[in-house]
Amino acid sequence: MNLAIKIGNATFPNPVTVASGTFGHAEKYFNLEEVKKLGAIVPKTVTLLAQKGNPPPRIVETPSGMINAIGIENPGADSFITQKLPMFKKIGVPLIISILGHSDEQFVSLINKFNVVDGIAAIELNLSCPNLKHKVLVAQDPASTARVVGQLKKISRYPIIAKLSPNVTDISEIAVAAEESGADAVSLINTFTAMAINTKTRRPVLGNLTGGLSGPAIRPVALHMVYRTAQRVKIPVVAMGGIMSTNDALEFLIAGASMVAVGTFNFVNPRAPLEALEGIKAYMKENKIKDIKELIGSLKI
Amino acid sequence: MEKIQNKFRVVSNEKLCPRFYRLSLDAKSLVKKIKPGQFIHIRVEDSLEPFFRRPFSVYRAQKNAEIFYEAIGPGTKILSQKKKGDELDILGPLGNSFALPPKGTKTVVMVAGGIGVAPFLIFSDLLKDKGYDLILLYGGRTKGHVFNMKDFKKNGCKVFIATDDGSVGVKGRVSKLFSKIPLDSKATYLYTCGPNPMMAAVQDFARQNHLSGQVSCEEVMACALGACLGCSIETKSGYKTVCYDGPVFDLDEVVFH
Repeated sequence: MNLAIKIGNATFPNPVTVASGTFGHAEKYFNLEEVKKLGAIVPKTVTLLAQKGNPPPRIVETPSGMINAIGIENPGADSFITQKLPMFKKIGVPLIISILGHSDEQFVSLINKFNVVDGIAAIELNLSCPNLKHKVLVAQDPASTARVVGQLKKISRYPIIAKLSPNVTDISEIAVAAEESGADAVSLINTFTAMAINTKTRRPVLGNLTGGLSGPAIRPVALHMVYRTAQRVKIPVVAMGGIMSTNDALEFLIAGASMVAVGTFNFVNPRAPLEALEGIKAYMKENKIKDIKELIGSLKI
Repeated sequence: MEKIQNKFRVVSNEKLCPRFYRLSLDAKSLVKKIKPGQFIHIRVEDSLEPFFRRPFSVYRAQKNAEIFYEAIGPGTKILSQKKKGDELDILGPLGNSFALPPKGTKTVVMVAGGIGVAPFLIFSDLLKDKGYDLILLYGGRTKGHVFNMKDFKKNGCKVFIATDDGSVGVKGRVSKLFSKIPLDSKATYLYTCGPNPMMAAVQDFARQNHLSGQVSCEEVMACALGACLGCSIETKSGYKTVCYDGPVFDLDEVVFH
């Protein structure tokens, strides 16, 4: 059975990964032999400089999901590379490094820093970031997405995956812009902008007022966005958005995703990605599918 | 992940007073590992409502692993319906634990508000034979929040109670009981757990009287594994996660608002 997926010149042993920001302290808590089975690991987004994150409260539970406003708390690229990356490398699973720049220059500096680091499979651009003088995020504008992806693709040693925001009219437009400017893959979806109000105090529940909605609540919308995008681009689509189970993962693969990431549901069941992987294998065996590529985009209409 | 994620069966789930329940789990592997102050993260039901697991301080770990909780929200209400033999998916033990008092400590004072009393029984199990004078100051809202504290007394704790409405013990907040705390900064050491305003009052009292101690914090948690950074609180050295850096912090370290 062949489960391997290629993105640019990187090969992943299977299509199951974790969404950025949802993977915990592997060494302390997890059975590493199990974690080694994942197709890829995506650590939390790294910025050029350290970010202390948003004031608490940072999360709120919602129907079938959550809203988070963590604020990309991270130690900055240099500390990440010296202090965290060695631990991730030791796991032995291909690493997709998620980066976010607050300007094109910061993105360029980040790429330059990771270009001189070995042992990375690919770079994911978190494009839900500020955009020069524009009011919208990079991921909300096809031209800005093309500008950022194009610049970084030219200088990056590693394949580039553009992570897209669902807070747009037509996400496939942005995906096409990313593909045309050289992205090796697109990943979608990031979270939906959302909020919650404490009616007793009439204050926002989150310290940041707004946050991002994730979890199974958004899955059917994510599935449609992935389907629509996979119809329009030839590069691989990495899908995330409320995936909890084998069946969820299969839906996204059939809709056209080449890889699937478990995100928020890791917080409920840390074994969910491995259970989904085992389930995909069982499904392939049962349906006599020898290569995962036969399953990808196999929707019958 | 078998290391921390397991299924355990409920041995008993009983009401100890009108507001509080004690749930016992047949969880030998947990009992062996748990240190006082640590918590477990329970999936109360295999469904999407409520979505998150729920974190609970361990109340006792002797024959079984026990938690002590108030049935107050959707998660704990479901938990209160669990019967003997029901199976629960549990992550744990998680987080750090209480550190022993510094050398020279003669009196250990535990200041608890409501369900915040939970980690102090297992802690007094550890401290009981170490020669300290143990004092528990307990504040509850009403007599419905006061339970039989014989297990604490058996461990040698002197127990003082305050209720907001005066229905049991002294009328008022637990701060009405601060007069029971010996004001000797070398010999008295504090531990506190409860609502934030109460812990802030303990912190103020400690600063005014040059006492030190530790605080066990609570926050809404998603992963409880230090991954999501959702349960962060403000400390003197920046944001720290309650689940991974805590739940126990130096009393002086936490910034209460």
